[in-house]
Amino acid sequence: MPDGSTLPVRCTVNGREYHWRLAPGTTLLEALRAAQVRGPKLVCGTGDCCACGVILDGRSVNACCTLAGKADGATVLTAEGLLEAGRLHPVQAAFAETGAAQCGFCTPGFVIRAYALLQEDPDPDEAAVRAALGGNICRCTGYVKPVEAVLEAARRMRSAPAPGPGAP
Amino acid sequence: MLSVDAYHRPRSLEQALALLAPERAVVAGGTDLLVNPRYMAGVREVVDLGSLPLAFLEVRAGQVRIGANVTMAAVARSPLVRGLADAILSRGAAVCGSPNIRNMATLVGNVAAALPSADTPPPLLALDAWVLLRGPAGARRVALQDFFLGPARADRRPDELIECVEVPVPPPGTAGGFYKVGRTADDIATVNAACVLRVEEGRIVAARVVVGAVAPVPLRVADAEAALLGRAPDEAAVVEAGRLAVAAAQPISDQRASAEHRRHLAGVCATRALRQAAGLAPHGAELAHA
Repeated sequence: MPDGSTLPVRCTVNGREYHWRLAPGTTLLEALRAAQVRGPKLVCGTGDCCACGVILDGRSVNACCTLAGKADGATVLTAEGLLEAGRLHPVQAAFAETGAAQCGFCTPGFVIRAYALLQEDPDPDEAAVRAALGGNICRCTGYVKPVEAVLEAARRMRSAPAPGPGAP
Repeated sequence: MLSVDAYHRPRSLEQALALLAPERAVVAGGTDLLVNPRYMAGVREVVDLGSLPLAFLEVRAGQVRIGANVTMAAVARSPLVRGLADAILSRGAAVCGSPNIRNMATLVGNVAAALPSADTPPPLLALDAWVLLRGPAGARRVALQDFFLGPARADRRPDELIECVEVPVPPPGTAGGFYKVGRTADDIATVNAACVLRVEEGRIVAARVVVGAVAPVPLRVADAEAALLGRAPDEAAVVEAGRLAVAAAQPISDQRASAEHRRHLAGVCATRALRQAAGLAPHGAELAHA
């Protein structure tokens, strides 16, 4: 069992394999950003804002309070990983087209939560969208547009269903 | 970044038990360990339970057993848990943090953290849950009401881990209620309450009333439980029980609420939880705040 000061972590991030050697207390967010995966953002660092949201083995989690060791053997998907062959995922396109991003710093976390919601529930009502985004904090006070974006993305995905990367 | 020197990933319960020591913290989801420095005091290494076969959620011998790796999200959507006393434990799990937290945080971790404001201990206490601990000397069971000793203090030795929480399946007809007041949908409870009632021939024959975030531990209100026994489950009975919850509360003031406000909310939460269990809450009303 490895118990030295270097923690080996093998994982797949956005379809690419990584083999990291990390300090044992490294968070998944720190590991991702050190690997130039810059979609997830550090804002609060305490799991309160969801700007660091990623999909870890099919579940959306906060990478800031997830130990990188938890990703060993896992598949990680981040907001930029939703791009397919240079084409925006319907969630990304809806966020861009409805003006759901202002400064954009929290947006990858919103996109990840929206993506996770639509995997579970392809036809959410507004209350379900608001509940799903309940942990995502935007300091530009832009909550109405993201809710509209998720509902619009849901409409688009229902009319042209295409399983996204990392879909269960 | 946690300041630790080693990260252990035991592959079996035996390996895990051999690793447990005061300077090693046990990690299931890790959502408390990474954000609350009080759990890192004196810790130099972490032991990740993720590879152990503790993700079971099953019924065995009349108990719903919830393993140490079962997330809040899994508890919240489990039909087994939903079947316990009007789903009070499902509802506590469903309001613990945000969706991302519930996908990582575990029910057993919520119990192990032993915070008086946690959302699952009140329903677990109302359901007479047990904690199954495993250590070098073997397993021992502790009633949850004896497990909590104070804020972030519990009857778990440094060489023990919680294997699972066990919830006795209540008799048919057992009703429950849960009510939480928080600043926002995802915040820790300002005050919460859970209760269980069983009524036979128009009289209450069993009652549990538990209020969270008003005392050093999640508080069972024995006076309210005693006052309910033998009475009809009517408005007068639940209001009286709520008054006794106010009398039993010993809250503190902090950034979320003053002690005076919490004392008031102890009565509000207990009364509203009891109205649900007694069938006095209008359908769909008073299920949650915020």
